[in-house]
Amino acid sequence: MNPVERIAVGFDGSPDAEAAVRWAMTLAKQTDAQVVVVHAVGLLEHAAGGGVAKLEEAVGRLTRECGLEPTQVHWHVGDGDPCSVLTRVGARDPIAVDLLVVGSRGHGAHAGLLLGSTSNELAQHSAVPLVIVPSGRDGR
Amino acid sequence: MTLVVGGPVGESEHESDGHPERPARMAAVMAGVDDLQLGTDLHMVAPYEAEMAQLARVHDPGYLEELATFCQVGGGDLDPDTYAKPDSWTAARRAAGAGLASVEALRQGTGDVAFVAARPPGHHALRDRAMGFCLLNNIAISAAALVANGERVLIVDWDVHHGNGTQAIFWDDPNVLYVSTHQWPLFPGSGAATEIGGANALGRTVNLPLPAGATGDVVRQAIDEVAVPAIDDFDPTWVLVSAGFDAHRADPLADLALSSGDFADLAKAVASFAPRTGRLVLFLEGGYDLGALRKSVAATLGSLLGACYPSEAPTFGGPGTEMVHQVRDQRREALHRAWQMAPSERRVR
Repeated sequence: MNPVERIAVGFDGSPDAEAAVRWAMTLAKQTDAQVVVVHAVGLLEHAAGGGVAKLEEAVGRLTRECGLEPTQVHWHVGDGDPCSVLTRVGARDPIAVDLLVVGSRGHGAHAGLLLGSTSNELAQHSAVPLVIVPSGRDGR
Repeated sequence: MTLVVGGPVGESEHESDGHPERPARMAAVMAGVDDLQLGTDLHMVAPYEAEMAQLARVHDPGYLEELATFCQVGGGDLDPDTYAKPDSWTAARRAAGAGLASVEALRQGTGDVAFVAARPPGHHALRDRAMGFCLLNNIAISAAALVANGERVLIVDWDVHHGNGTQAIFWDDPNVLYVSTHQWPLFPGSGAATEIGGANALGRTVNLPLPAGATGDVVRQAIDEVAVPAIDDFDPTWVLVSAGFDAHRADPLADLALSSGDFADLAKAVASFAPRTGRLVLFLEGGYDLGALRKSVAATLGSLLGACYPSEAPTFGGPGTEMVHQVRDQRREALHRAWQMAPSERRVR
């Protein structure tokens, strides 16, 4: 049995998040796992009528580049800030995942301080193994 | 009746280009107060910077130090929604202090009801993290100060977004009853009816999620049918309100359909939960359409004071009646399950 059947990866369109998605998809290709791309809709994005539409193109491109079948890639869009949404996913709520992958920092997370750092929060609270992909490392 | 206003805080500080949580909000709020023409029935209370020990009742000291340093070195974005600027630390401490000063003014008998006209708002701020435009949890800081003095505090949160920070801070505190009406689903993703409080405070959290388009009658129905029994049982000595006005139909950040007249009615209903005059404090939270904000502040405070105020008619007929029944049943089931597992001495309604 494959110990990693479903990989969740946070994605906000930032370069670090793109590196995390690429890393997750590379692992999924090697292990025949499913990838769940997790996106948090915050206050401003809701007001702007946003969603995943503008992110789908990037995820589609990464899917092709990593050689995954489109049916291996799924979306989970949650209301909240990235930290809260990913923390819920890390607690296997509302989807059951085996591994959580995030970039070292996404949009709006200030470098150099713990304050607002999603990856640090997740390191404390995730119920599943967590991979933090450092800047510039994407598994290629 | 005399209105105590704590503030204003945030009339010119804590600003980020193009961000909806902006100083112009405070001008709209104060215009709403001015519309009431209260004269000598208005008592302004100067805000002060809350002390670290007062903030530390609800926030981790490490977080407070980091936030202060972050602002001191120039600030920036804390998450995709939330910013801090060099002057934000002072503004946030003054906003928290405005709440504390307002509570103290009522304790001393200075007025009959208080309104904390301060930003940045607070109810999303967690113990150790900023979130949702909020840096420090203003209402929680005041509630914690009251609890430290032996009071039982009811917090009613009618902001369109669930006050996840306030809920989390008092999750396991039997001396605080947290009641929230909010749009669902919506940011921050919490606030389900099944979230009822921690092991030491089962039933002390009452969440009333409502669908987009819900009108004022549905909000009042939710409070009457689901929250009032818990409030009666709790018997609060103080009532604090997270008075966000972004449930107004004109607000650009959400999709409920309330009018300023609905806030007037809500205010009167919430005031009836206080044991006597001088035990009700409203804290500004959200509200991003400046015209709606001005009208809603005037209607809310005017209804409490018996003053003349311009108001839109209350709204009726929106969706959500069935959801209120589901919420009532889900809460009942969650309480039943929790009570079966809890030691008998921890059970509260």
